[in-house]
Amino acid sequence: MSVIEPFGGFGLGLRRTHYDDFLSAPDQPRVPVDFVEVISENYMIDGGRQMRILEEVREQFPIIIHGVSMSIGSAGGLDADYLTKLKRLEERIDPLWVSDHLCWTRNSAHNSHDLLPMPLTEEGLSAVCANIDRAQDALGRAMLFENPSSYLTFPEDELSEWEFLTEMTRRTGCYLLLDVNNIYVSAANHGFSAMDYLKGLPLDRVRQIHLAGHDPATPKRDIIIDTHDRAVADGVWDLYAKAIAMLPQPVATMIERDDHIPPLPELLSELDRARGIADAALVPA
Amino acid sequence: MTLAERQEAFLNAILDDAAPLPKGWGNSQAAGMAVYRANYRHAVISALAETYERTALYLGEAGFRQASINQAIAHPPSGWTIDAAGEGFDGTCAKLFAKNPEVAELAWLEWSMLELATAPDTAPMSAQDFGAAVADFGDEEWGALGLTLQPRATARLVDHDLTALWQALGQEGAERPELQLPEPQTCLVWREGERPTFILVEADHAAAFATMQSGATYTDMIGALIGDNAEPTPEEIQNAAMRAGAILGRWLQEGVVVGLT
Repeated sequence: MSVIEPFGGFGLGLRRTHYDDFLSAPDQPRVPVDFVEVISENYMIDGGRQMRILEEVREQFPIIIHGVSMSIGSAGGLDADYLTKLKRLEERIDPLWVSDHLCWTRNSAHNSHDLLPMPLTEEGLSAVCANIDRAQDALGRAMLFENPSSYLTFPEDELSEWEFLTEMTRRTGCYLLLDVNNIYVSAANHGFSAMDYLKGLPLDRVRQIHLAGHDPATPKRDIIIDTHDRAVADGVWDLYAKAIAMLPQPVATMIERDDHIPPLPELLSELDRARGIADAALVPA
Repeated sequence: MTLAERQEAFLNAILDDAAPLPKGWGNSQAAGMAVYRANYRHAVISALAETYERTALYLGEAGFRQASINQAIAHPPSGWTIDAAGEGFDGTCAKLFAKNPEVAELAWLEWSMLELATAPDTAPMSAQDFGAAVADFGDEEWGALGLTLQPRATARLVDHDLTALWQALGQEGAERPELQLPEPQTCLVWREGERPTFILVEADHAAAFATMQSGATYTDMIGALIGDNAEPTPEEIQNAAMRAGAILGRWLQEGVVVGLT
């Protein structure tokens, strides 16, 4: 499978409310990001305004296409129509890379449109790896897969999530999109050490980091929920600093916001904080 | 239990609150499932609210929520795009609001516009280009003429003034207009450049549009305009031919025709 070279930089997700910001006139300063990430499914379309805007943004920035519906963990395999449309988008945009999540979203009849947790079993691993092989073959390139946040674990689990991810990358040659907020959320929800998680991963396979906000636990709810609707929490920034210091290569860092999307300057300010933390973490002691 | 069986049981539990949780699950899994169930409902309702913005305004929060929940139960999403969760919502509204059929018509219009927003880009055929293309046509060529209509453009008969309703819902505080039309009209939905749009036109556009969209010929379109009359008089045929010409002219004027076949 192809090699994905490291790309160091800081970026944001392209959301509709910020289209005008990213389509600045030629005499105006460009949005200060190194790349833009888009949700694949929003652009797996035939035409119209949305596609035209993506192509115009592509002229100014490298694009990452990030999916939420590949359902790489589905026991029934991948959707051929989905792969065809994703490949068409990939050819149209020529992205830095294509990513999705370690999760499943559907069975043969219905789609939850949520990132559902994989049973961490040998059978689950085999299904995921077979699907990744098929997706990477269809796209003709290696992909990145993101560690999910989760709200339950299965009694039948045989592996830790980091062991699962490690074996997944070894068997398929895929790379990792490390969502630091997801590690933080799942560690709190399931009682494992976030540092054990990081130490257990093949960090040389990480090419990108996601940072996002979450809804903390409450007196009535023990579970932390990954919401992407607010600023990144301090605990996640701390974990980000540790992760950056541990990685052996530069990575692309981005802030994810999918709900209650603020004006662009607020997200750029968060991105500046990421830049500062990364700079500090990489200064020799 | 195989992976497929586990995933089946998991998804059933998300879609149906009354479904039993998978065997062997305890309190921690039940608490997690509550989050996944809430996420699913939120995702479907949010997607519907985004697609059916004006229908939601018309129904109000409680009515739209009721319709959304009915839709999620009656038509759980099956496609890979969350936008597809709204497919068939007009049917859900037709059943739920049988005494207010304008709701289903409005929902149909919003769905049609969503479909058009991402349709393939095409250039409309101008009246001048059409005129040049058919300049040398004889009766035989005219009879065999087919049209390529804009992809995903659509038309149907409606009983309510969707133009007035659409405008009123787009203006905060606007009064609700009189909706019942004196007689049915065709709602023609297409895209002007990148912008989905619609108009209400004479009722006979609907049958003519359906005929030409199915790949039939101009002769068939005239036949559709004659209707069920098995033995039309020459005058009726002449009138239908004139209507076909007027309808085609309107479609060319609006940019609905993109080519000839």
